[in-house]
Amino acid sequence: MKITIAHLYPDLLNLYGDRGNIQCMKMRLEWRGYETQVIEYNLGDPVDFTKADIVLLGGGSDREQMIVCRRLQEIQKEFLSYVEDCGVVIAVCGGYQLLGHEYSTPDGDMEGLHLVDLTTKQGSPRLISNIVLENSIFPYPVTGFENHGGRTYLGEGVKPFGTVVHGYGNNGEDHQEGVLYKNVVGTYLHGPLLPKNPHVCDYLLKNALQRRGITAPLQELDDTQEKEANAYIVKRFVK
Amino acid sequence: MGIRTTTAILAARALSFACKIAGKQGVTMAGKLAMKVDPQILKKLASQVRGEIIVTCGTNGKTTTNNLICSALEADGRKVICNHTGSNMLMGVAAAFVLNAGVNGRLDADNAVIEIDEASTVRVFPFFKPDYCVMTNLFRDQLDRYGEIDITMDLLRRAFDMAPDMKIIVNGDDSLSTYLAQESGHEVITYGISEQVKGAQGSADGSTREIREGQFCKKCGTRLEYSFYHYSQLGVYRCPQCGFHRPEIDFDACNVDLKDGLTFGVKEKNQALRRIHANYRGFYNIYNILACWAAVRTAGVGTEHFDRMLDRYNPENGRNELFQIGKTKVLLNLAKNPAGFNQNISSVMEDPDEKDLIIVINDNAQDGRDISWLWDVDFDRLQDESIRSITVSGLRCQDMRLRLKYVSISADLIEDVKTAIEKRLADGCGNLYVLVNYTALYSTHIILKNMEKG
Repeated sequence: MKITIAHLYPDLLNLYGDRGNIQCMKMRLEWRGYETQVIEYNLGDPVDFTKADIVLLGGGSDREQMIVCRRLQEIQKEFLSYVEDCGVVIAVCGGYQLLGHEYSTPDGDMEGLHLVDLTTKQGSPRLISNIVLENSIFPYPVTGFENHGGRTYLGEGVKPFGTVVHGYGNNGEDHQEGVLYKNVVGTYLHGPLLPKNPHVCDYLLKNALQRRGITAPLQELDDTQEKEANAYIVKRFVK
Repeated sequence: MGIRTTTAILAARALSFACKIAGKQGVTMAGKLAMKVDPQILKKLASQVRGEIIVTCGTNGKTTTNNLICSALEADGRKVICNHTGSNMLMGVAAAFVLNAGVNGRLDADNAVIEIDEASTVRVFPFFKPDYCVMTNLFRDQLDRYGEIDITMDLLRRAFDMAPDMKIIVNGDDSLSTYLAQESGHEVITYGISEQVKGAQGSADGSTREIREGQFCKKCGTRLEYSFYHYSQLGVYRCPQCGFHRPEIDFDACNVDLKDGLTFGVKEKNQALRRIHANYRGFYNIYNILACWAAVRTAGVGTEHFDRMLDRYNPENGRNELFQIGKTKVLLNLAKNPAGFNQNISSVMEDPDEKDLIIVINDNAQDGRDISWLWDVDFDRLQDESIRSITVSGLRCQDMRLRLKYVSISADLIEDVKTAIEKRLADGCGNLYVLVNYTALYSTHIILKNMEKG
C-alpha cells in the first residue's frame, strides 16, 4: 500500500527544518514496509486533497505566510472537507496559525482558514525557547523548540496538543501548547518535531493508516536513539 | 587623550592578558570593559586611522574574507587594525582597536579592516563610518537570534543609511545582497562568477535539494528565474516580471578549476586577465578570494605581493586549519549554518582518500539555541565509501546522531570532543576531518594545537 504525504508550499514555508518532519514520516513508513510518495505542491500547483493521506503545512516568514494564506483561501472548502473527513494534518508554526480564524496584528488582520477554532494575535517579544510538553495520550514527553511572535488562543473546549512543562506554548499564559482537532495536529514545535518525538510521528501515521482501513497496530521500531535524544532535552530543561 | 582613555586601554590589556593565561579568548570581555570605562573610546581610536576603513558583512565567509583583505593590505606594507579572531559584535570590534592602541591613547594604523556581524552594524556605525563595505552573502543563520533574513536585511539597510558615502562591494551572484546594496542608493561594485562550475554544488548530477533563500524577487514578489545555481541561491538570476536581474559584474571569475587547490582568472574592465591560484579546498573560497581581490582593487591597494600573500596565508583560527598529529592529518573547519555546512561537505567529498569525520554541534547562545537547521543540511551526501566513520560530539550530539539515522548513516556518539578526537587518532585512518559549529571552534582549535605540540 502506498501512503501519500502532501507537502504544501515548501518553496515558501521551509523555515525550521520541515524537511525533517517529512523525512521522518517517510522513513518510519518505509521501515514498516509501506510504500511512500511525497508530493510537493509549490505556489501555483493545484492541490488535490483527495490524493493525500497526510498533509504537512510548515512555517515561513510573515511575508511568505501571507502569500500562502491568499492561495489557501482559494481552496479552503476542499481543505475543510479533508479535515472534517478525518484527514491527517500536521501544521507547524506559521502553518498552525493559518488553521485558525485570524492572525491579527496592529497593521491589520489576516483572515485564516477557519479549519480549527483558534485565533492568533501578534505579540512581543517573540517566544523563543526549548520546550517540553506532556499529554496522557503519549507515553513520554514531547520535546522541541519554539520561536513565534504570535499568541494563539484556543476556542472553548478545543483540546491542546499538550501541557507545557518547560517553555512558553501557545501564548505563554495558559500552559497550553498547540491543538488537537480530529486528526489535525497544530503546534509551534519545530526542531523539527517528529524525529525526536517518534510517538507523535507514529500517532499521525496510525491515524492515516486507519483512515485507509488498516487497523492493525503499528509494528514496533527500535527507537533507542530517538528516545535518548528526547530524554536529553527533558533532563536538561525540566528541573 | 585623557586619563579615562588610558585607564580603559590598560584595563582591557590586563583583562585580555589574564584571559590568555586562563586559556580563554577574552577579546569580547576586554572590549566591553574598555567601552564601560570610556564609552567614546571606539570613536576616538577609529578617527585616528590614517587611510580607509573597510568592513566585511554577510552570513558566511566574513572572517576569511576579512582576514585575507587585512593580509593583502599588510603585504602592501600597511599597518592594519583587524579583528582577526572573528569577534565581530560591537565589543569585539572595540577590542580590536583598544588592544592595538598605545597607553597614551594613540593609534598607529594606516587602515582598519573589520568584520561586523550583520545585526551589530547598526551598533558599530555610530562610532565610525567605513569607506567600503564588503557584502558576502545572506543565508539563513541562527533564526532564534536574528529572526528571519528579512529582519537582518532591515538592520543592514538602517546601517547603510548611517554611512551615505560608503561604497558597497557586493557578491552579485546573491540576489538578496545585491538587492540590498542597489536599493540603498550607495555606489555599488560587484564581484561574481559568470560561468557554471563543475563540482561547485558537490553532487555530480546537480540534483541537490539545497534550501534556497530569496527565491522570490524582493522588488515585486515574482519567482526569480535562474540560468544556473552555484550553490544555495547564488547564481545567475533575473525577475521575469520587473526586470530585476544579476548586475554587470565588475570583478568576474572565469576558467575556474577546482583540482589541485583553486585556480581561476579575474576579468576586470580595461585590465589584463589576472590569474589567481590558492592552495585551499572548497568552491566557496573562490568567493572569499574574489571579494578580497575586488576590495583591494577598489581601494587602490598595491597587488604585486598578492599571490605570495595567498601562499603564506595561514589563519590559525579554525577555518580550514590543518594539523599534523603523529601520523594523522587533521583538518578543522567551521560549519554553522546550512549553506556553510553544505559547502563543507563538498570540500570533504572533494578529497578522494579514505577519511574519518567528527561533527561537533553545540547549542550555546553564540551558536543559536535552535539546532533545527541541521535538518536543512544535505547530510545524505556523506553516504560514501570513502567515509570510514562518523563520530558525533558536542552538547547536541544526540540530535546530530538522529539526523544521520534518518539518512541511513550510523554514527558513534562521544559527547566530549577531546575524547572523540583521541579515539579517532588511535583507531582512525590517518585522515581526519573535524567540523564544528561556533562555540566549539576555539576550544577544539586549542585541543588540536596542544595535541600537535605533543
